[in-house]
Amino acid sequence: MPLDAVFRDHWGRVLATLAGTLGDLELAEDAAAEAFAVAAERWPRDGEPANPVGWLVTTARNRAIDQLRRRQVLTAKTALLARDLATGAQPPAEAEADVDDTAVIPDERLELIFACCHPALGLEAQVALTLRTLGGLSTEEIALAFLLPVETTSKRLTRAKRKIRDARIPLAVPPDDQLPDRLAAVLAVVYLIFNQGWGGGRVDLAAEAIRLGRALAGLRPDEPEVLALLALMLLHDARTAARFRDGQVVPLDEQDRAQWDAAQIDEGRALLARAMARPRPGPYLLQAAIADLHLQQPRDWRQIAALYEALARLTGSPVVEMNRAVAVAELDGPAAGLAILDRLDLEHYRYFHSTRASLLRRAGRHGEAHRAYQRALDLAQTEAEQRFLHDRLAETAP
Amino acid sequence: MQYALLTYTAPDDTDRAARPIPDALAALLEQPSITGWARLHADGSATTLRNDDGRTLLTDGPFIDSKEYLAGLFLIEAEDLDGALAIAGQLLGQTRPGTAIEVRPVLEGRLRAA
Repeated sequence: MPLDAVFRDHWGRVLATLAGTLGDLELAEDAAAEAFAVAAERWPRDGEPANPVGWLVTTARNRAIDQLRRRQVLTAKTALLARDLATGAQPPAEAEADVDDTAVIPDERLELIFACCHPALGLEAQVALTLRTLGGLSTEEIALAFLLPVETTSKRLTRAKRKIRDARIPLAVPPDDQLPDRLAAVLAVVYLIFNQGWGGGRVDLAAEAIRLGRALAGLRPDEPEVLALLALMLLHDARTAARFRDGQVVPLDEQDRAQWDAAQIDEGRALLARAMARPRPGPYLLQAAIADLHLQQPRDWRQIAALYEALARLTGSPVVEMNRAVAVAELDGPAAGLAILDRLDLEHYRYFHSTRASLLRRAGRHGEAHRAYQRALDLAQTEAEQRFLHDRLAETAP
Repeated sequence: MQYALLTYTAPDDTDRAARPIPDALAALLEQPSITGWARLHADGSATTLRNDDGRTLLTDGPFIDSKEYLAGLFLIEAEDLDGALAIAGQLLGQTRPGTAIEVRPVLEGRLRAA
């Protein structure tokens, strides 16, 4: 069932509320889907209710009760739900016709995303579940985005939902002592979704990740890393239109800056400024600050190199070191950059070889550059990358 | 909600039976959230019965043949998985390096003194 934009905006809210009440994500999802189906039929005819989220939650809750009754597993849960409804003074039958439009439905999406990104679930399950529950993507869309069989994705989602129920993974914001680690896990899932979507063009995962990032920033407006991640994604995404020309990757310095999304850059910078007002920069803040510096002309390579160094200290990531090598090469010449690259173990990372090739070429070592471009081409994953590397190979051919 | 904690340990060259439960671990076992526990003899003592299409096969040794063996189990009461993981983490802190604890929600069961 394709949910249109209005529905997509409500899906996460409705599902989060239901999951909180029912304690069973699978049941909540089935009930929510039914409620959305009823809405798709009635709203165009009767008009959208004044409180669409309240209407959907009430309708779905009634469906869930029916479902539980049918299953006959229920005594305790039904009593609980019936009492819930009674306190809202809603007649259980046909309640959707007279939903209290003024009822405030608390936003429980944060509780839900912490459950979806719980470390007791595998990372792939976390990603799929977050896209399904908070993003409202269908199982088919998620499968398509990650180039997986629908059945694999469906099984993964079902297993994860059942584990949340059976092992009782809490639908709750973690206590303060666990919050930093757990929040980092949530942000990692969102950023992974973003990176998967960058220029992919299948399902727009970058837009999904930004939507999730906005929701998180709305729910935790004082958390600098939440703001920084959203800033980082907006700043990267602002260049999407300029990143490809005739199916080829266009390097940053050759991009048509008029094609950059100025409003999105402004929004990213404003978020970055808010995040920077807090002490102790985290990894997303550093990355967002670097992304911002890369958008300025001329680029301040000294500051960029310094920020990469801070980020490398924080994360211990060799990929960050690789990026620092590029900045150092701009400052002190390609040999200085290559000296850093030679210390890194990134043999299986495609961008390592293209980065190294470009520095070798600038150092006049064309034979080595040619071999490095060849290695990058062997590892390239998209056609645009392959075309770019083919051209470089031709230019460095002996 | 009840959880079972299944503890897997790497084989040790000292005799397991001769090694007492460390004091710190013994103290943890006293907390009310731990509703039952059993420390098992090493896997060399195991005998496995298997239902092979209705026939009972009896073999010497543990069912799962791996380097680590099932060394013990705990039954605990916790609010949710985070609570169970916190208790499991405490217990793990008092074990030898290489020990693993598998946390499984209990579907149903009964406990009584022998």
